[in-house]
Amino acid sequence: MNALLTAVPQWGARLRDPRYLPVTGTLVALLLILVVGQLRYTEKRSFLSMKLFSNLLVDNSYLLVLAVGMTFVIITGGIDLSVGAVVALVGLTTAKLLIAGVPLWAVLAIGVLVGSAFGTLIGVMVQYFDVQPFIASLAAMFLARGLCNVVSVESLGIKHEGFAELASWKLKFGEGRESWSINLSMLVAFAVLAVAFVILHHTRFGRTVYGLGAGDGGTAVALMGLRAKSTRVWVYVISGTCAGIAGILFTLYTKSGFNLTGIGMELDAIAAVVIGGALLTGGGGFVLGSAAGVLVYGLLQVVIAREGLQSWWTKVLIGVVLLAFVLLQRALGTRRARRRPVPVTPTPQVAAPA
Amino acid sequence: MTDQKDPGQAPVVEMRGITIEFPGVKALDGVDLTIRPGEVHALMGENGAGKSTLIKILTGVYQPGAGAIRVAGEDVRFGSTADSQAAGISTVYQEVNLCPNLSVAENIMLGHEVRRGPFVDWSATRRAATKHLARLGLDLDPASILDSHSLAVQQLCAIARAMVVRPRVLILDEPTSSLDKAEVAELFRVVRGLRDEGVAILFVSHFLDQVYEISDRMTILRNGRLVGEHRTAELSRMDLVSAMVGRSGEILADVGERAARVAAAEHDRAEPVLSAQGLGRPGSAAPFDLDLFEGEIVGMAGLLGSGRTELARLLFGADKPSEGALAVRGDTRAPSPLVSLRRGVVYSSEDRKKEGIIGDLTVRENIALAIQAGRGALRKVPAKELDAVVAKYIEALQIHPANPDALVRNLSGGNQQKVLLARWLATGPKVLILDEPTRGIDVGAKAEIQRLVTELADQGLSVLFISSELEEVLRLSERVVVLRDRHVAGVIHNGPDVTVETVLETIAERAAS
Amino acid sequence: MNAPNNVVANLRRLTRHHLFWPVAALVALVLACGAYSPGFLDVTVADSHLFGQPVDILRQSVTPLLLGLGMCLVIATGGIDLSVGAVMAISLAVSLTFIDANGPGTATALTALVIGLITALVIGTFNGFLVTVLGIQPFIATMILMVAGRGVAMLVTKGQITTTASPAFKSIGSGFVLGVPTPVVIGAVVLAIVAVLVRRTALGMLVESIGINREASRLAGVRATGLIWTVYAICGLLAGLAGIVYGAPTMAADANNIGLMKELDAIMVVVLGGTKLDGGKFSLAGVVVGSLLLTTIERAVIIFHIPSQVTPLFKALVLIVVCLAASERLRRAVTGLLPVRRLQEAS
Repeated sequence: MNALLTAVPQWGARLRDPRYLPVTGTLVALLLILVVGQLRYTEKRSFLSMKLFSNLLVDNSYLLVLAVGMTFVIITGGIDLSVGAVVALVGLTTAKLLIAGVPLWAVLAIGVLVGSAFGTLIGVMVQYFDVQPFIASLAAMFLARGLCNVVSVESLGIKHEGFAELASWKLKFGEGRESWSINLSMLVAFAVLAVAFVILHHTRFGRTVYGLGAGDGGTAVALMGLRAKSTRVWVYVISGTCAGIAGILFTLYTKSGFNLTGIGMELDAIAAVVIGGALLTGGGGFVLGSAAGVLVYGLLQVVIAREGLQSWWTKVLIGVVLLAFVLLQRALGTRRARRRPVPVTPTPQVAAPA
Repeated sequence: MTDQKDPGQAPVVEMRGITIEFPGVKALDGVDLTIRPGEVHALMGENGAGKSTLIKILTGVYQPGAGAIRVAGEDVRFGSTADSQAAGISTVYQEVNLCPNLSVAENIMLGHEVRRGPFVDWSATRRAATKHLARLGLDLDPASILDSHSLAVQQLCAIARAMVVRPRVLILDEPTSSLDKAEVAELFRVVRGLRDEGVAILFVSHFLDQVYEISDRMTILRNGRLVGEHRTAELSRMDLVSAMVGRSGEILADVGERAARVAAAEHDRAEPVLSAQGLGRPGSAAPFDLDLFEGEIVGMAGLLGSGRTELARLLFGADKPSEGALAVRGDTRAPSPLVSLRRGVVYSSEDRKKEGIIGDLTVRENIALAIQAGRGALRKVPAKELDAVVAKYIEALQIHPANPDALVRNLSGGNQQKVLLARWLATGPKVLILDEPTRGIDVGAKAEIQRLVTELADQGLSVLFISSELEEVLRLSERVVVLRDRHVAGVIHNGPDVTVETVLETIAERAAS
Repeated sequence: MNAPNNVVANLRRLTRHHLFWPVAALVALVLACGAYSPGFLDVTVADSHLFGQPVDILRQSVTPLLLGLGMCLVIATGGIDLSVGAVMAISLAVSLTFIDANGPGTATALTALVIGLITALVIGTFNGFLVTVLGIQPFIATMILMVAGRGVAMLVTKGQITTTASPAFKSIGSGFVLGVPTPVVIGAVVLAIVAVLVRRTALGMLVESIGINREASRLAGVRATGLIWTVYAICGLLAGLAGIVYGAPTMAADANNIGLMKELDAIMVVVLGGTKLDGGKFSLAGVVVGSLLLTTIERAVIIFHIPSQVTPLFKALVLIVVCLAASERLRRAVTGLLPVRRLQEAS
């Protein structure tokens, strides 16, 4: 994380770099919500507090992990619609296996691997069978939901002791009303975020992920002698694995598995990533931006709750925000329509049999 | 500049008797190519000459059916692009094949980046990139995003990347096609620098001026065969163009010395059917004037990439002109495909597959498409009327198979072209723009299409006829618009004393500036 | 050419028809059900209404049929509409909320129907606007409503499962017209209208040409914007109608569950009917066969006493198989294995 520290002084200049402009927008949005919240909701105690952030992360750590995985896929210009369904399937699998008496460590490992398996399925369909990412992941989403129904159509509560311990483990700070804590899900989410950051920004693989999103179907990356094909499969595996981890975190959060869990969760994750500055057309995006996007998403929910609005407003509002960001990207994209060379040579034609 | 080089110096690349066949086509037939260290070697040829195939063999994309390749005196067989790169051959492609969203340093170094364990050492990598850029005399911030630089700089970054592996041979495939004058000069400065370091450079370009400016020797291909190898200084432009274009020995059916006859006749010059004034679009075609009169065939000649297609697309509205005015029989609306169609201007694209036929639809539907588009979706052409139209054109153009329900993608190239002609003729056009209508089709079909074009003109249609075959252009047209480097270089009035050479001279003329 | 050769040639032509395999699967499935459960194919008349398994299958196939017809056109243009399930929920919620506020009269029911359909049309138009005017990728544009749409439906019902009573409205889903179930009549009428709309005008051909080769179509003067926009509007409208027909018998607007995963059904019946997901040629008859096949599968699951939870799993597997089968690479691999057949086809 040394690089992160040395990078801090440069940030001021970087905020105006076109690369980071969308993220600057995210940070502005974040600050705006925080300031408005501080002014509007501070009554007996400050709105801005460690407790606020602690609660935000407790409620959204699973989403943070999902968003990190989704960021990889979206940077390559793909999409993964299956993650919500995979979260539900992992939850049900975990519950079912724990009830069946399988040891905890094995259950957790199997849960994550279920996610990886779905990611692999999508990646192979996309890379080797030329199925469009949204169709491939849609099929995987329906497959995961179908499997959920086979596992159980009823909510399965988890009463496993070890699991309950993991769920309730936390480090407490502060006293009384101001107390806040760090729980296991937060630590896992931060670890995933840190690993993803290092992979994306400090390995050849990570830079290949960005290169795949350059908008030429990976031609440039392949011509550079980088592993275009396997990288494309791997981003889906990473997204699936993150969905597996998120599934476990979500199960720790709800202590149950249910087949209707996570409907629309993929949109939440996509929204967080897009709000965090990633381009849906590929080629740009940052995991730290996505993390900020998750915070914006969480704060929106807090605001909705504080305003006394019903929870379904979240879905509508997220839809509106997502639409706004998609339109914004569209506008930015047309404005700096790339000055790509106009090929002079028409594609060589193989003479048609006359 | 080339004088100090010893002509006997051992070649770095020798390709001998290279032959390769694709299903139905012999793409290369016994071609030789010799490149020496410290020279810029131009590879010249028109479309279909086999330049790109030859380059793909040298870079290991294709494996030749026969022939031998020697690099630095050793026999080699390239099974893949990696083999070729390992032998010291690097390529920079026409379209900048880099990632515009990554930094300059990444684009230059990725794959050879400096690493510390599994992680990239960014500061060392950036320093290395700076060093490679400096070798080309470039001073760029390696951390800046590639997209923030001009295309020329991006092109130079591609060269810097190619030079990272210290290749013996650098292939530059159309590196200048989208650069302006100053940018080309910058590129050539870099190329000369590399040449002087002893790198062998294979240079492919359609711009004759540039070839003469930069190259020491050249190899000319035509129709997959070697036409000659010359020192640039010893070959006149005229000879080069003649060698590239060649003489097709085919004797086609006599289409009646129409050109000569009509050129003598007086058109009603008062009122052009189509009139363009200062029409242009940056990066596509420089502003030009053109009048087209009733019953006239105007040919358009120029080398590949000279702007023929671009100009035609502006006239039709396939690309929006950004300056100038276009009037079609007094109608001055901005052109778009539908507007043009409705006022009787139609355009048959040179790219039949991508921009012409709708492969999965039938012959009938393909012919109906333009009439239908003109009427709008709701007023379907009655089946009876359509059947009559389709039957008429299948017969008139001798489309084979004469089955309106055959899928167009199953037809031969010539018949697909006839279906496209039928599509346009069925709309009753006043102006017909034909872009390479005879490319890739057999001799018989070619003659039929030529005859048809003259008949149409006799019926009062104005035709703009674009073709790479100069004989064809001269046989048909009354005037020939000659293009060079996306400018109209001249208009030749056809007559008995106008020959292929006349046109070639205009094409080969050194740009005045 | 001798006689056996002729038979073989005809047979091959028959098996190559794009509806051969779906129809064959449908017939085989129906026969299997008939054999396993005698009386499966019986149709009885009671109260001068038709009853029996085949009638039920027809009735239930109307929802996927309506969704599939719209989806089929959208897919033909090379797009997709992921919002149809949410649109079903919204239009039903709008209709039922209107009835809830205005009482059970027949006139109210009709107005509710019209309002529900207009809502759906507006949503479809919105999708079309995003796709054509703003140029957003179809799956992203419609994905926004796929989930936000359910929030909108919740807004309409204020988070409740609105239950109300209106015999007239209910009969849209459960009534009979001249002895035939109302949904079947609606399905048949809509099918006829859509068929006339796309095949008696040039809409169908132009949509196909856009889906096959957009640039060539543009150069031929076809203006894609209006056509594609229309197609998304039609798809929205039909999804709204499907929601009302599907939800009317329950008279309960359950915003979370009405039309849940029906996008899958819609895509399924389109691909089962032989229309490729890449766009281009489409077959309305294929959608009819596809929706009958899908419904019969669902019914067969019950007849064969297979746990009904398996159905979605089965559907997903079919979709994956169809996707893979459409893949060029797989086809090349398979045809490479069958050189003899290739040769025959070429000759």
